[in-house]
Amino acid sequence: MILELKNIEKSFGDNKVLKGVSFKAEGGKAFGLLGRNGAGKTTSIRILMDVFRANSGEVLIDSQPINYDKIGIGYLPEERGLYPKKIIIDQLAYFAELKGMSHKAAIKSVDYWLERLDVTEYRNKRLDTLSKGNQQKIQLVTALAHDPDIIILDEPFAGLDPVNAMLLKDVVKEQIAKGKVVLFSSHQMNYIEEFCDSIAILNKGKIVLHGELQDIKRNYPRDRLVVRAGNSNAILADFGTSCNVMENGNLIIRLTDASEKKAVMIRLVENYDIDEVKVFEPSLNDIFVEFASDDAKEDN
Amino acid sequence: MKQFGKIFKFELKYYLKNKIFVGVTIFLVLLIAAVMFFPRISALFKSDDKGSSADISIMLVKADDPAKADIIEQTFAAAFTNYDVQITNDENSVIKDKIISGDAKCAFVMTDATAYTYYVNNLSMYDMNTKIANDVLQRIYQVNAMIKSGITAEQVANVMSIQITGEVESLGKNQMENFFYTYIMIFALYMVILIYGQMVATNVATEKSSRAMEVLITSANPTSMMFGKVIASCLAGFIQLVAVFGSALIFYNLNKPYWGNNLVIESIFNIPPELLVYMLVFFILGFFIYAFMYGAVGSTASKLEDINTSVMPITMLFVIAFIVVVSSMSSSNVDNTVMKVCSYIPFTSPMSMFTRIAMSTVPWYEIAISIVILVVSTVGVGVLSAKIYRVGVLMYGTTPKISAIIKAARKA
Repeated sequence: MILELKNIEKSFGDNKVLKGVSFKAEGGKAFGLLGRNGAGKTTSIRILMDVFRANSGEVLIDSQPINYDKIGIGYLPEERGLYPKKIIIDQLAYFAELKGMSHKAAIKSVDYWLERLDVTEYRNKRLDTLSKGNQQKIQLVTALAHDPDIIILDEPFAGLDPVNAMLLKDVVKEQIAKGKVVLFSSHQMNYIEEFCDSIAILNKGKIVLHGELQDIKRNYPRDRLVVRAGNSNAILADFGTSCNVMENGNLIIRLTDASEKKAVMIRLVENYDIDEVKVFEPSLNDIFVEFASDDAKEDN
Repeated sequence: MKQFGKIFKFELKYYLKNKIFVGVTIFLVLLIAAVMFFPRISALFKSDDKGSSADISIMLVKADDPAKADIIEQTFAAAFTNYDVQITNDENSVIKDKIISGDAKCAFVMTDATAYTYYVNNLSMYDMNTKIANDVLQRIYQVNAMIKSGITAEQVANVMSIQITGEVESLGKNQMENFFYTYIMIFALYMVILIYGQMVATNVATEKSSRAMEVLITSANPTSMMFGKVIASCLAGFIQLVAVFGSALIFYNLNKPYWGNNLVIESIFNIPPELLVYMLVFFILGFFIYAFMYGAVGSTASKLEDINTSVMPITMLFVIAFIVVVSSMSSSNVDNTVMKVCSYIPFTSPMSMFTRIAMSTVPWYEIAISIVILVVSTVGVGVLSAKIYRVGVLMYGTTPKISAIIKAARKA
């Protein structure tokens, strides 16, 4: 299944929030929708879920306009919150039923997910008696219980301890393996980098970068080498201005041309005490900062 | 439609499981029971008292002329059946002492055939004795005067005992009878709409401020949510009304003999059945139109604290409608121009048209027009509210201006 947003435009009053947003997310792969605060991520997600209508543009599933009666969407909003005063099983079953499940099936599914997320003991408690992390897990059930085809997770790792983050990762991997479209939105680049096969970066209502993460990284000019060596001072002295020290103590050598790579690598290995030498690949963080900062070129 | 059913069930459960809702309903039923059983219980105590304390209050009467003492005693005793009337010749100071010490309840000291002084310890607000005494003395004076002018005692008796027979036939409605039940019904309408309307607003604002809305709005269609909430709260209010009025009716019938001929109570339970149907129609429509507005306003508030100020205009509108109706009722002219105009305005017609139907005679076509206007505007307000709701629930920050919301709702 392929989810596609095509040329979505949306204004609130005079404020143009989305100026032609297009991206594709494939089933069985995780997709990361990145962007700074106010870039239009939440609006895009809401249009995708039919909370708002777009001024123009389409939401497509396998090139056909999406049919919301047939395609189930699970959503974990960034702003967490359910009914604080209500019994957990009651409200979770209610949300699953609203998504079209029968009462019986809803209870069964919710019980499965409470068990899977290790929060069964809170089943008959009120939500506001739980810790924040556990409330978050409860909220995750609302996104998963009705077995949706598309899962949208907005900042899913915020507020989770490492053990719970691991649990969530496993759950998400399971869902991806089942062939579902999983759409992440997060500011925590390390998680996106770990999970997402493809990304789209949204800046000021426009998609400024879209594609497979590997391709994006490979398409960066491969004209820098990262070097970890015992005698870095000697290298620094020999390479002069083309060599700099990185924050972690490694050296970075800028080549005049990517084709020099092999020659420089051999020269390094033969002449110095080298522990590691590799082509510099930007982290997602570097890419994000480059494309989403204020002075980023709008049409890159 | 399926979603609506689920939302409706969930929301109704919220009321029926709510301890305050259940508590208040039970309290009201118990209160009604206490009121309705009161005559039976007090009759129980009265029958106990009868044997032990038979002393009736003593009324002293001092005649101006000892010759008239007999006739005065007789007529006073006949007029004041609650008192043990005793003729006295004591000095005024002695009479006063007797009253202060409690030996006598009160005293009439006649200074003349047409003048007296009434002595009583504490003058009660309901003390009608002087009025009765005036009548009695006037009558004695008239009889004496007639006898003096040569009319025989028999003729006098005939003249004085003449009875007037009169009958009242109300061609329209009897406002004396329907005032109380109309008032009670209007008041019930007022309370239920005000309380449940605010509950709808709070309910929506709670969902919004707890951010449960973020998931809800992506799970269910806003129109279903709005209608589900409003209809559930309407049913909850109706259940409460039925519980209170139903228990009142049952308890009244259980205790009917003890209420004797209490006209007020009897008139309350003599509501014509067709009026109950009108009550139901205006209750449902009035409830909906206000609950929709309350829901829409609730959706624009970001914090629960804002609710009270946000709903103020709606509450004011409703309170003014109530005041117009109640003041027209007490001026006994429910067909005045203001009421006539109000009975076609959808926000006031549930109360004013209902009052006019109950207390006056309204042509059927006027009722029909009023109901049609109300139905159309209720549907209109419902649709508009659902749109405002759709936009409002996702707006955080300061409460937006009405114009901005309507503008946004039109586009949604």
